[in-house]
Amino acid sequence: MNAINRYELFVLEDGEKPVEIIEDTKIPNAVTIKIFKQDHTLASMVRSELLATPCVLFAGYKVPHPLEPAFVLKIQTDGSQPPVQVLENVCTSLIATFSKLADQFKREFSARELDIQVEEDPYGPVGTNSTSGAGVWGAGNRRDYLDF
Amino acid sequence: MSNPRVRIRNVQHDRVNFVLEGVDIGFANSLRRVVMADIPTVAIDIVEIETNTTVLADEFIAHRLGMIPLISTNCDEGMRYTRDCTCLSNCKYCSVVLYLDVSCQEGGTMDITSDHLQVVGYNSGYRFTSGPAYSDPASDGGEELSKRGDGFGNPVGKDDDSVPPVLITKIRKGQGLKLKCVARKGIAKEHAKWSPCSAVSFEYDPHNKLRHTSYWFESDERAEWPLSENAKEEEPPRDDMPFDFNAKPEKFYFEVETTGALSPKEVIMKVTTNSG
Ligand SMILES: [Zn+2]
Repeated sequence: MNAINRYELFVLEDGEKPVEIIEDTKIPNAVTIKIFKQDHTLASMVRSELLATPCVLFAGYKVPHPLEPAFVLKIQTDGSQPPVQVLENVCTSLIATFSKLADQFKREFSARELDIQVEEDPYGPVGTNSTSGAGVWGAGNRRDYLDF
Repeated sequence: MSNPRVRIRNVQHDRVNFVLEGVDIGFANSLRRVVMADIPTVAIDIVEIETNTTVLADEFIAHRLGMIPLISTNCDEGMRYTRDCTCLSNCKYCSVVLYLDVSCQEGGTMDITSDHLQVVGYNSGYRFTSGPAYSDPASDGGEELSKRGDGFGNPVGKDDDSVPPVLITKIRKGQGLKLKCVARKGIAKEHAKWSPCSAVSFEYDPHNKLRHTSYWFESDERAEWPLSENAKEEEPPRDDMPFDFNAKPEKFYFEVETTGALSPKEVIMKVTTNSG
């Protein structure tokens, strides 16, 4: 009755900010970004894309507490670009990668569309007793190990 | 920006096998996670039990009902989350109602399966209990209903003899089960019953050239760890080859197997077009 809604794990509350940016005062060109209501799915993808960017000196993330649906991302650049700008570029490039991926899949699926229809008996033999044609779940034959 | 390349090796009605190249491992793994847990489907979420004289407890049956895959074609656009809906509890825009009423009159064992679940429209006048006929609760109309695919909300494989139904429980003479289910839209981050996939296999580096894992073995590593089918896609390492510590995984082998709630094509296309 007092349980929180399960969807609060991944849906932002009314007026909740999705990101919080904390500038690092001790390290140059570094920033710590807290991203709410997101998990490893986004975090790991963003981090690996950041690490592939030449001007990034450091990129890492952690989920500070498993019960709190947020992760913290730390970025340090060599100074040629501000870290927040780099993150923005990385996100744009990830979105572009996804749309390229969508095009690839669309092409592959349309080339493959016919294969599905040619395939014979896609479900394969049902159960072990397929002599009756309908398999063990067919009408009339519903015996199993408990029915002896 | 990376240039992903995809090669589909096999498509069937419930599975797709493909090779992904040109992206890094973080991206490939995120794709796997999204396929498993971020695609909305419909699943039974609330069960009102009127009669249960079976051997299973109410909550046991409710749990089993939740796990039954329901046809969710275009669920993403064809349905609202109840939390975003204007209705008070549930309505035709954010839920599908299913009834089940089975009793056993003859001797012998009878199976109650997902085939006994029946989708009932909100204005059909179906009477569940002695109360008034079920009518449409107040909510704002929308385009959702017209976007739903055929048989939306029905158990997968209903009215298809070639698909075995899901067994809910078994009853004998004099026992019966009568209940009402409210199926809602959700994603597997909330509960695994909303996952469109029953299994997702993910492999890279079948020869373990990158040494991301170390195999435990009795006496002969090669003999005790047979290579997977995917190893045929890659050059086997020579024994005198030095370890390349700069190498990165390049080819990712996926097999996405769905529950039948969505087609493998729909799952993959939703992932790639919505995650941006
Ligand atoms: Zn509603």
